[in-house]
Amino acid sequence: MRTEQDALTTAPNRLHPKQGEVIDRSTTIRFTFDGVEYTAYPGDTVASALTAAGVKVLSRSFKYHRPRGVLCCSGHCPNCLVQIGDEPNVRACTRPVEEGMDVHAQNVWPSLNRDLLSLTQLGSRFMPVGFYYKTFIRPQKLWPLYEHTLRHIAGLGEVNLDTPPGEFDKQYLHTDVVVVGGGPAGLSAALSTAEAGAQVLLFDENPDLGGHLRFTVPLESTSTTSRSEDPDESGHASKELPELLEAINQQPNITVFADTSVLGWYQDNWLCAVKGTRLFKIRTKSMVVATGAYEMPLIFDNNDLPGVMLGSAVQRLVHLFGVLPGRQVVIVTANEDGWDVAADLQSLGVNVAAIVEEREPNACSSPYQDGLVNAGVPVFYRHTILEALGSNAVSGAKIARLDGGGEISPSTAQSLQCDLIVTSVGWTPATELAYMTGGKSEYNEDRAEILPVSTPPGIYVAGRAAGTHAVDSQIAEAQQAGSNAAAFAGFGELDEPAAQPSGVLEPRRTSERVCVPGKKKRFVCYCEDVTDEDVETAIAEGYDSIELLKRYSTISMGPCQGAMCSMNTIHLCARANGWTVQETGTTTARPPTTPVTLGALAGQNMEPVQTTPLHQWHLDQGADMMVAGLWLRPNHYGDPAAEALGVRNRVGLIDVSPLGKLQLTGPGVPELLERIYINQWDNLRVGRVRYGVMCNDEGVVLNDGVCAHLRDDTWYMTTTSTGATTIFEWLQWWLQSGWGEGVHLTDLTDIYSAFNLAGPQSRAVLEKLTDRNLANKAFPYMRIRSARIADVPCRLLRLGFTGELSYEVHCPSGYALHVWETLMDAGREFGIVPFGVEAQRILRLEKAHLIVGQDTDAMSDPLSANMAWAVKLDKPDFLGKPSLMRISAEGPKQLLVGFKMVESDVVPDEGLQIVQPEADGGLKIIGWVTSSRFSPTLKEAIGLCWLPADLASQNGAPFTIRMDKHLAEARVHHGAFYDPDGERLRT
Amino acid sequence: MSTQKTPIKLTPLHPIAQRLGATFIEQHGWRIPEVYTTPEAEIATASERVALADETPNGKLLIEGEGAESVLMDAFDLGSLKINEGRDGIYRLRNDLFFISTPPGREVRTQKKLMTGSAASEQFVTITEVTHGRVEIRVIGTDSQALLSKLCGLDFHSSAFPNETAKQSSLAKTTQLIIRGDIGELPAFSIIGTQSLGPYVWDTMMEAGKEFGLVPIGRAALAALIEA
Repeated sequence: MRTEQDALTTAPNRLHPKQGEVIDRSTTIRFTFDGVEYTAYPGDTVASALTAAGVKVLSRSFKYHRPRGVLCCSGHCPNCLVQIGDEPNVRACTRPVEEGMDVHAQNVWPSLNRDLLSLTQLGSRFMPVGFYYKTFIRPQKLWPLYEHTLRHIAGLGEVNLDTPPGEFDKQYLHTDVVVVGGGPAGLSAALSTAEAGAQVLLFDENPDLGGHLRFTVPLESTSTTSRSEDPDESGHASKELPELLEAINQQPNITVFADTSVLGWYQDNWLCAVKGTRLFKIRTKSMVVATGAYEMPLIFDNNDLPGVMLGSAVQRLVHLFGVLPGRQVVIVTANEDGWDVAADLQSLGVNVAAIVEEREPNACSSPYQDGLVNAGVPVFYRHTILEALGSNAVSGAKIARLDGGGEISPSTAQSLQCDLIVTSVGWTPATELAYMTGGKSEYNEDRAEILPVSTPPGIYVAGRAAGTHAVDSQIAEAQQAGSNAAAFAGFGELDEPAAQPSGVLEPRRTSERVCVPGKKKRFVCYCEDVTDEDVETAIAEGYDSIELLKRYSTISMGPCQGAMCSMNTIHLCARANGWTVQETGTTTARPPTTPVTLGALAGQNMEPVQTTPLHQWHLDQGADMMVAGLWLRPNHYGDPAAEALGVRNRVGLIDVSPLGKLQLTGPGVPELLERIYINQWDNLRVGRVRYGVMCNDEGVVLNDGVCAHLRDDTWYMTTTSTGATTIFEWLQWWLQSGWGEGVHLTDLTDIYSAFNLAGPQSRAVLEKLTDRNLANKAFPYMRIRSARIADVPCRLLRLGFTGELSYEVHCPSGYALHVWETLMDAGREFGIVPFGVEAQRILRLEKAHLIVGQDTDAMSDPLSANMAWAVKLDKPDFLGKPSLMRISAEGPKQLLVGFKMVESDVVPDEGLQIVQPEADGGLKIIGWVTSSRFSPTLKEAIGLCWLPADLASQNGAPFTIRMDKHLAEARVHHGAFYDPDGERLRT
Repeated sequence: MSTQKTPIKLTPLHPIAQRLGATFIEQHGWRIPEVYTTPEAEIATASERVALADETPNGKLLIEGEGAESVLMDAFDLGSLKINEGRDGIYRLRNDLFFISTPPGREVRTQKKLMTGSAASEQFVTITEVTHGRVEIRVIGTDSQALLSKLCGLDFHSSAFPNETAKQSSLAKTTQLIIRGDIGELPAFSIIGTQSLGPYVWDTMMEAGKEFGLVPIGRAALAALIEA
């Protein structure tokens, strides 16, 4: 039994229990980080547990392999990316710890704490921004080596290709209003919307609602500061949060999606969100964006050193996880939030070594200012930080005074000892979603923030996203936004919008001093290791627009997607160009706002598969199944050659249910058929069947099949199995275009199952099961009859694709198994065999019947494909006629023709080239093989191929096929290989 | 010439039901699952969570043509239907296309009635019996909307998809006709699509329904739910 004492022993930075924390101290769990075991509480994140244990370095940076530790603790920066099991790029600060979790640092060699790849820093002057566009290019033959090395050095986690795919899924949601953000603004907006009667979906990326109120609740102070004396004035809302949460829980119109990130907004208020392995697609009538703000890092020497943290990160660790990330703290601030953090830490007994305040004393308005000063906390007004000191973690801070012009006075520089540097210098409104909707923004110089100034109808912004930081203002603003969102969705009346957001009237919380010059590396973009010098270099090279700068430097294109770096980059770009921030502008916000796995985007594996009613029967017989379009069909039952011989010599049965089956009804059918087929139809009498070929406008063969004249105004068409849907839609398109007036088209493909009973004994088998007269005279070749087969009403078509006497039995699908099994039973005395697609392909090839799509392609016309007999150019009009007339006049250049191999047992693969030796010893490609098999009936290799017309027209002409490693001889063969006169199928 | 075996109709989901251990009964020439576990357990699941039933034997007809509405009016005294609306098992899918659902076995009589009406009115309509070509999976239970929302982009809330309405949509990447036909207070939807895709749709729904405790139910439980 592990105890709390165990956890405290192994986690020296863990605070004692207090209200509001999210960890469960009643039990502990264990996990490993780079092989070392650590203890955590349920509710801990990987980062909070490691910080509690005193671990400061969690990762190495992307390019220079510099040590990195917790920076934002909110799932936005890249500094705590780790590999958990096979899952790469996991943010340790948001991933809850699980028992036995195996956590590793990413892309380090040989280890996290001694990463030799960090030596790349020594060559950093050779790797400025965009170096990969300019260097490591020549000599070109060395590029693979460069690429391999660069890829090895740079990058994030590793994907294990052997990892089985996880289980993902999707869900569609529909609502009146979506509220994004579960802070005080989001909660208030959701409540006012729901109270108006609208259905609300409330999304928050954190596991618990409350936003910043969760970790800015005043502590029970044991110190002498005035930490929690007047929470309303301070902006803390400890009393508001429970009330808001209780109201949310009581409101039936609100559905909460916690731990869910809204990734993007698309046209017509179509939103995408992700929660773990589930992707949500959401349709809403209106939306409130209350996504809060990102705390901005400050750019100074070594600003990426582990131990440099944002103020909000420290507050999260302290209040949510009971973890103190440092014992001796320097707080660098330019607003009241930094004083809040100082008060928090000081009340916990932490040694606040200094508050480094950019402003003059009289510009500060923190309620804690006097208390902290009176408690003896050193405060350096008009100072800023120059450098974080230390190698692998913070050991001190170098600070200096600012002169009257705001410049640094180097002579005033001094070093302070500390193990934690907290920066609280400003906020960037999280307005990506608002901008995706088409919202506009402007730089507010008084606030030093880019704030939304307009949004499309139905889109509202509230809270910190609108620049409003005071809690009471956030709530009021959000209530109005919620009411308006509800009204837009049809619940209540729209309020007049406020002239300007409440936040505009608030004091500035963001400093424009985003970068402190120095001599070491100062990182703007933590994801891609881009420094302020890199930004200046890129701008000097001409990439001066913010969009070009982004693409060239890759700033904001990493895991943070600009959350940490975009505002600082805009400031740097503006200064380097001598422009205003407004003139500089922003980059375009695009989905996804946060990284999402491809698995989540893909969702549940849904690959539609069509099966015939006999599917299980085929499986039970050991059939080898093949995919044909969406269909699963029996390829063979073990020995396709034997199956083919069974059909030739006795009788066989094949499941051809996937054949497309269309019924056309109406007086306009003959006219339609004349237009869509290349051959003649208006003379086909009732009860007869005709083979037909369809072409597109270019005269290319589209499909083939038979069409039967069932009754006066009713026709029954079959198409290829894989072309059924296409032809159905093709016909509908022409019907809607005005052809075939009044024709009704019905897809019967699934209503009828179909079997082909083929072979010399097929009539004998069928006669056992029907009263219909099957004699050749009564039911000749290419006829259709209705008949009861095995007591089931069926359609019988006498056809001959296999070259044998054969009957296609079309029966209602519910009876398919009954009819099939009855046929098999009846055929047993005749040696019936089931045969699959492979045997059918052998049989048809012996008859030299082509398969559309196999022997033809997107260039094949019927005149060239040995179907000139079917082309009736004297018809008034049909699809493809103009093209076919031209081809007919000019004569085909290539012809589809049969061939036999000289070496009868050599079967060329389908697709092989047909070549002709040239004078220079080379080989000219003159054709290709489309079908080939060894014929078990003829005992020789046969096939179909495309050849130049002059060669193809010479029966017996030799030609050469380029095999894998040698050349093989073949000869042109005209006509069917088997039963060329077709006597067997007409018998 | 007849055979010794009596023709029996099987739904495309028959092999799945066999695999799931169903016992079968025969009704109107169809062999259908009677029960998978116990009727009581299946009723409880359908009432409290969500269940699937194979209702393929229900008769299904399509009537198409500009005169389809008047033929239907004459035959059934139906009144006017808007697109997607349904009444007494007749649903308007397009201006000139209606879907008719009948109890098992009644489709033949209905078809004859319509054909007679069509002939008498001299309206050119096409009446196609599609029972054999369509699988019908009924989703029943309080979680049925949540289950369907994982597979289909439609809004299944009662305000957007009221009882006795029908919509055509993509479900699990296949084209399906979805008819809402609640059983008392229990939400229920019939998913009607081509029979060759039936096993795939059934398996996909079962997979998506795992989180809701989805189970198949047989005819006995379904009949009891309807009677209740």
